[in-house]
Amino acid sequence: MGHEPVAVVGIGQTKHKKRRDDLSIAGLVREAAQRALDDAQMTWSDIDAVVIGKAPDIFEGVMKPELYLADALGGAGKPVFRVHTAGSVGGSTAIVASHLVSSRVHKRVLAVAWEKQSEGNAQFGLGGGKSGSIGAGGAFAPWIRAYIRKSGAPEHIGWQIAVKDRQNALRNPYAHLHLKDISIDKVRESPMMWDPLHFLESCPSSDGAGAIVLTDRAGGEAAAADGRPPAWVLGTSMRSEPSSFNGRDPIRPQAGVDCAWDVYKQAGITDPRRQIDVAELYVPFSWYEPMWLEGHDIAPVGEGWKMVDRGETAFDGSFPVNPSGGVLSSNPIGASGMLRFLEAALQVRGAAGEHQVDGARVALAQAYGAAAQYFAMWAVGSQLPSS
Amino acid sequence: MSTQTSSTIQFPYKRTLGPVISRFFSELTAQRIVGIRSGDRVIVPPMEYDPETGNQLAEDFVEVGPAGTVVSWTWVAEPGKHHPLDRPFAYALIKLDGADTNLLHALDAGSEDAVSTGMRVVPRWRDEPVGRIDDIVAFVPGETPEGPAAGEAQDVQTMDYFSTITYTDVLSPTLERYAASMRAGVIKGQRCPQCNRVFLGRGYCSVDAIILGEEHEEALPDFGVVSNYTIVTPTPYPGQKETEPFARASVVLDGDEMVIAQQQIIGIPVSEIRVGMRVKAQWFPAAERDAAEITSKGWGTVAGFIEGWVHTGEPDEPAEQYMNRVF
Ligand SMILES: [Zn+2]
Repeated sequence: MGHEPVAVVGIGQTKHKKRRDDLSIAGLVREAAQRALDDAQMTWSDIDAVVIGKAPDIFEGVMKPELYLADALGGAGKPVFRVHTAGSVGGSTAIVASHLVSSRVHKRVLAVAWEKQSEGNAQFGLGGGKSGSIGAGGAFAPWIRAYIRKSGAPEHIGWQIAVKDRQNALRNPYAHLHLKDISIDKVRESPMMWDPLHFLESCPSSDGAGAIVLTDRAGGEAAAADGRPPAWVLGTSMRSEPSSFNGRDPIRPQAGVDCAWDVYKQAGITDPRRQIDVAELYVPFSWYEPMWLEGHDIAPVGEGWKMVDRGETAFDGSFPVNPSGGVLSSNPIGASGMLRFLEAALQVRGAAGEHQVDGARVALAQAYGAAAQYFAMWAVGSQLPSS
Repeated sequence: MSTQTSSTIQFPYKRTLGPVISRFFSELTAQRIVGIRSGDRVIVPPMEYDPETGNQLAEDFVEVGPAGTVVSWTWVAEPGKHHPLDRPFAYALIKLDGADTNLLHALDAGSEDAVSTGMRVVPRWRDEPVGRIDDIVAFVPGETPEGPAAGEAQDVQTMDYFSTITYTDVLSPTLERYAASMRAGVIKGQRCPQCNRVFLGRGYCSVDAIILGEEHEEALPDFGVVSNYTIVTPTPYPGQKETEPFARASVVLDGDEMVIAQQQIIGIPVSEIRVGMRVKAQWFPAAERDAAEITSKGWGTVAGFIEGWVHTGEPDEPAEQYMNRVF
């Protein structure tokens, strides 16, 4: 007996903002979760188990918030799981939930990931609570410099991605940043935050949450019969590697390559560039778009920036990346991976509204964390997998 | 004797309370306690949702108390600095009149003998309310609340939460030897016998998961090449002391085996730092070397021993071969 097919039948997210001062943390996660339940035409009592993900607890100063949030997510008397894999956690949370269904442990699982960055300060948190934090931008900037130098990419590539994702975000009412007058000039002239990264090539700090409801084959087919086509999970994978050892390639980490091919294999994908219709990749700093195109073998090594330069990753390109606006437009850190995963599901359900990519049947979602060392990826499709 | 290092992390968090807890705290500033109706029950403090079902509750607030009955309690004979009172007191579960749930609070009853399940208690109100649960300083025996006359309700939307925690690390034997060697001005690494990689004060190979001990230790050069760097424009946050752009560089020690991350380059403007630059360590004077930054998280650090790195004046090395070496 193989794995149970898994269907995403409910999707919800908050309006992401710099500061959701209208909500408690419980209110924030419930806004996303209630929307996912409504979308699935379910109530709290229909859910068998809850999976909660977020990034480090120091960001809000609430230790083990899953305990505080268990009843806010209808978890009384049910199994509740916490997932924590740094920045990739939103993706890992979706994957853990999908495994609870695919292994037939539970039939209907709610997965919620969130961050309320405005309660604390991520620079402080990432700097271990000390002065002189280099933040995520300072940690990734040297690798970005190495990518630029090795690939010979012109510097406008980073600016172009910063503009593209912000223009995509204008189509997404939930996105934090709606920069109507974004332009290459504006990005280039914005302050240099972490040389070589400009301010507008960097993600914002957001409050937000994302949620999905996953169910089994019968649940997915029932939703489809009711005119609510689900997203079917075609493959999932999580991989990691140590942050620091001689011989590591931090520009194209082996864990990221392995994670991608594990997903491709499960999904029957041999040529990701042709067989995937749209991708949501975790791009908190503009240059990570070509780095992940190469890091997941969507483009040959050294060629990712050329895909960008030719406009192939634009909304109307042949391989759209981040039609939601991506992490560059909304970054509730713990939820950011979930937003990639749920956007991929929205796309193959044909339910992405203004940011719907025409003909999206197979979508890839990816999230990464810490020193580009934790990876979570899934592929979802509009059709029930045949195996 | 094992060395201990200690570090304190503190941060002033700011909570947004949401509509329901905002109402509860706002009412507290006027010496009123409200609960919320959930079916036949009144929940105190009020919640946004029914804790048993997750269902959203209508914002149907009900004033309760202020007097109530002790349902259960425990005596705190020796209060610590984090307790709400500086003298012996009870933590009590109190069922306020009109409520169906119990409120946990401090009960200032003088002595353990004076506390019993079923006793009647009332709030002692804080002189100047701020919109926090300790606007009730404590409950006290009786039926008549204590404290000043009630004032106007304030609109409370947020809560400041100052968090502080102090960690004590006991250094591992590997880190003890590492710290001793650094005090003597020698960087000692541990070489994995299986893969030949070198690690700093870690005690194991992170690739092969082999324990590394004293027999694997060897002195490393304290000079090398800047492999990469970033210039950070500091953003303000509580505890941030940096105000001007500062550089953090990674240095690959000669022999290409060890990279030391997040280092300061001393003696030149940040704009002149470049990949491939040859540098050597500038050690603190022996008497000033300090192991306070070393913790048992498995990471060697040179902080407290090496102040920064200075350009040797030698010609630069080709950059590309080093640029991937950042951590
Ligand atoms: Zn080894």
